[in-house]
Amino acid sequence: MSIREQMRKGTTTVILLNLLAEAGRPMYGYEIIQELEARSQGYFQFKEGLIYPRLHELERQGLLRAEWHGKEGTRRRKFYTITEAGRRRREKELQGWQNFARHINELLGVESGS
Amino acid sequence: MNEGPARLEMPIDRLLAGIRTQMDLDGETEQEVMAEIRDHLEEAFAEAQARGLDDERAWAQAAARFGLGDEVGRALHQAHAGWGTADAVIAAALPVVCALVLRWLAFAPDGTALGWPQLLSRPAFWVVALVALLLPVLKFERWRCALAAWAFFWMLTVLFVALPAMRW
Repeated sequence: MSIREQMRKGTTTVILLNLLAEAGRPMYGYEIIQELEARSQGYFQFKEGLIYPRLHELERQGLLRAEWHGKEGTRRRKFYTITEAGRRRREKELQGWQNFARHINELLGVESGS
Repeated sequence: MNEGPARLEMPIDRLLAGIRTQMDLDGETEQEVMAEIRDHLEEAFAEAQARGLDDERAWAQAAARFGLGDEVGRALHQAHAGWGTADAVIAAALPVVCALVLRWLAFAPDGTALGWPQLLSRPAFWVVALVALLLPVLKFERWRCALAAWAFFWMLTVLFVALPAMRW
């Protein structure tokens, strides 16, 4: 597995929470994936089907709230919104990520932001 | 259920069947998961078509980007599996706790049944009734579970009050 893949897997939770926090509106699975790929400018290729188990885990942990929109017989979609618990988790994860990145950069002798 | 293009039904159904074989979820959850994934695949297919691909290539691209059904099914199963166990414990414990509390409420210490007027006038009875209804809603987010627990609660109540001679 490439470093890129490993990093993506380890950070999917914070990436999803961050996206939904910044979006400030409910988003559905396909829309989330498209937005993530656009933001990473194609650097991260998400295996789309594997986003759903992660979304469901976050939902059951109370970090996301999901609601179905649309009536029976028409297109129905499950929209995800970040909860207050999700926002707190995002802050914690972002802080952890920044510390991690800083220490790795120091170990590798790479200047942050370069 | 979404109404996808008829030409898409077969390949989507095959992929969904591959996912389904890896999961062991309750019917309602499985239906929701399948509806969500079907919607995803239909939109991915429509977008690939909009980029100028023919049906076959559009589907091939949508399926490739989605990933293998088996792998996704296993991941979905794992994502839901832990909660299934916890839910099962709570679902099994709730009727038992309900029956014990109800028995305590419906009978006086000497073993005689209280009867409807006395039972219905006890605030504790209504607290238990409310818990029997709300706990399943909050825990399982399924009205079906709540109604089943609620029906069980009232069935027990009727049995305790109507057949006191049984000395439950």
